Amino acid sequence: MADFNIRTDAVDVEQIMRQIRARIQSKRGVDYTEEQIQELANVKLERFLDPKGVRSDLVEQFKRARDRKLEPFQPEQYSVDANDLYGSSKAPVRLLRKLFRPILKMLLNANRLVQVLHQQSELNRVYEKQFHLLREKNQQRDEVDTLYYELVHNLVLELTRVGIENRNLKMRLESLSSRMDFDERRARALETVVQYRPGSGPSREAQPARPRQDDRPYPQPQPQQPGAGATLAFQPAPGQPTTGEAGSGEQAGESSTARRRRRRRRGRRGGRGRTPGETTAIDTAGTEIGSPADSATPPHGDPTGDAALDDGFDNDEGPAEAGHYQDDSGDDDEPDPSAQ
Amino acid sequence: MKLAVVVQRYGADINGGAELHARYVAEHLAQHARVEVLTTCARDYVTWRDEYPAGIEQVNGVPVRRFRVDHERDVNAFARWSGRVFGEQHSYLDELKWLDAEGPKSSSLLTHLRSAQSDYDYVIFFSYRYYHAYHGVKAVSSRAILVPTAERDEAIGLGISPRIFRGVRALMYNSPEEKRLIESVSHNQDAPGVVVGIGSEIPERPMPERFRQKFGITGRFALYVGRIDQNKGCSELFSFFLSGLQALPRGLRLVLIGKENLPVPEHPRIHHLGFLDDQDKFDALAAADLLVMPSYYESLSMVALEAWALGKPVLANGRCEVLRGQCIRSRAGLYYETQAEFIETLRAIAESRRLNAAFAANGREFFRQNYAWPVIEQKYLDVLARLREDDARQAAVQGMDPEPGWLAKRRKALPPASDVLAELPSGPVLN
Repeated sequence: MADFNIRTDAVDVEQIMRQIRARIQSKRGVDYTEEQIQELANVKLERFLDPKGVRSDLVEQFKRARDRKLEPFQPEQYSVDANDLYGSSKAPVRLLRKLFRPILKMLLNANRLVQVLHQQSELNRVYEKQFHLLREKNQQRDEVDTLYYELVHNLVLELTRVGIENRNLKMRLESLSSRMDFDERRARALETVVQYRPGSGPSREAQPARPRQDDRPYPQPQPQQPGAGATLAFQPAPGQPTTGEAGSGEQAGESSTARRRRRRRRGRRGGRGRTPGETTAIDTAGTEIGSPADSATPPHGDPTGDAALDDGFDNDEGPAEAGHYQDDSGDDDEPDPSAQ
Repeated sequence: MKLAVVVQRYGADINGGAELHARYVAEHLAQHARVEVLTTCARDYVTWRDEYPAGIEQVNGVPVRRFRVDHERDVNAFARWSGRVFGEQHSYLDELKWLDAEGPKSSSLLTHLRSAQSDYDYVIFFSYRYYHAYHGVKAVSSRAILVPTAERDEAIGLGISPRIFRGVRALMYNSPEEKRLIESVSHNQDAPGVVVGIGSEIPERPMPERFRQKFGITGRFALYVGRIDQNKGCSELFSFFLSGLQALPRGLRLVLIGKENLPVPEHPRIHHLGFLDDQDKFDALAAADLLVMPSYYESLSMVALEAWALGKPVLANGRCEVLRGQCIRSRAGLYYETQAEFIETLRAIAESRRLNAAFAANGREFFRQNYAWPVIEQKYLDVLARLREDDARQAAVQGMDPEPGWLAKRRKALPPASDVLAELPSGPVLN
């Protein structure tokens, strides 16, 4: 938590409350009221946690919907003319109808009736055709629906997964920010503890402590010192002779194996995260092993890479720090070219 | 000068807010005047059952005259009348019946007041909302001084309340918020009103380590002192504390002191110590990192003042306008309304040493300037002196408004008290 800059006579409680509310808003992202948040939280929880809220027969219902096919529709086709109206299979009836035909024609317009029935017959034919088309389309739709179902199903799964991951990331972010806060506070506390006295500069330099970032000169190539120090600081490229190699090939081999072991251990640690205490421990180890001479950039290889790290080089600057974390999370199974 | 202090209950073993307030004031004014306490024989504020013997006794050197209560409180009748006058259109008579149902009704006390009023120069009434205040002020309004101890509840919206506020010679308020509330409901700006509050006897050297050893409390903790009750906001406090545990400062515990009317959650970081005596309470305050006041309604929180006196910051419920106003004015505490605010304010107080130090210094100063006993006593004495001057000049005394006539008293013309309350201004008074 960021500290408040306070003077006793100038404490403004309302101002502090505004700061606190601003902090809460920035954490939330959106300025929801407490009631809105509760409502949202309740809705989500109900949907996900309450089994009553989930349709357990969703799949069955979907299948049933798919099974509901259109019934075959094949209306009887017919044609109507005047003979159909007045004709009959029985001769006396046919005769009588023929006799009374003029009277019937006088009483009603049978031709119009025939015409309408004919039109209806045509309409039936058109509808039947359209029905067949519809049926084909429906079949196609069923197939697409199956795909939609799978798609929605997968989307829900992915969304859930993303939601959970999002929550995890948020928690991780909170954890990291709290660690950062802790480190900041610790740094501030340490700064306040250290007493700087005028004229104590040379004695500080004489101390074996790690050089401060501000005090450290820019890295410049320095001549390699023969001996163990050179072996620690320098990782040869494949096939290149080194000063250390000239000193002792066996020692170099041991150092390489030891380095690999250390890197594997870090790799394993990297998987579970690192507490501030662990970081401090590593930094301290670096301070003990490394010397100002060791901090020189090796003539071959990446100064932010494994060589500097494996040698216990502790660099507070950005790239080295990044290299540090990359190394922790890297895959140790891959061969290290610098170690070959 | 002879003063009478009239209060609903009185006793060394009674720790209710207004009653304790009355006792402290009586004991301190007894150093400057002859003080007699007029009260009932009741000890329990729910039933008003006569438990003390009637007659005169001495409590911490102050004579106390006790009178019998006419009847115990019928809780159902009281609830019924409360529902009517708070929630419905009602008559003046309904309010008088509500007052009768609330109690403690003591006709003998009123008779004594009427008959012996000339024996007292002034009569100081505590708690406007009880039977003795309305009828007592009506009986001796020319000598009445009121310590209203008003909270933002429906009773202040009743038609009888403004008559009491307008009918007294002076009012001794607990907070600026209370003064504004009463002035806006009764328009009694003519009556002299002073924000006084109450002091507290703070021990010179509280012993936090003694408390820690006695109760086995280690580490940092936030303290709550008071009745553990739903109305005091304790259930919200438990909810906020338990659901925000991960975000709270590491190892911070919640220690509760007071009678348990609400089940306290069983959790390793919550400790309920029960009712403690004053020494333990002050030692606990000295050992605590901060005091939490989750109450929604307070006219004045004595324990908050005690915390400030001991240099402890207060985290108050922001919905209680009095506590919120006190935090702002004292510059010695923060307030919360939501869970997120509860967590962040708690962290701000518990983790920021600079803020904590500033709050501690401001709290001590706030108490010293406003709530040290010499300051409180002087305010009372100033008001009494002013009234004496007015009496010497034979200035006109307004007195209580006459009661409405027989018909008007029965006419259901008064709005629901809750509606009146909703119209009153709210929020802390900053100036």
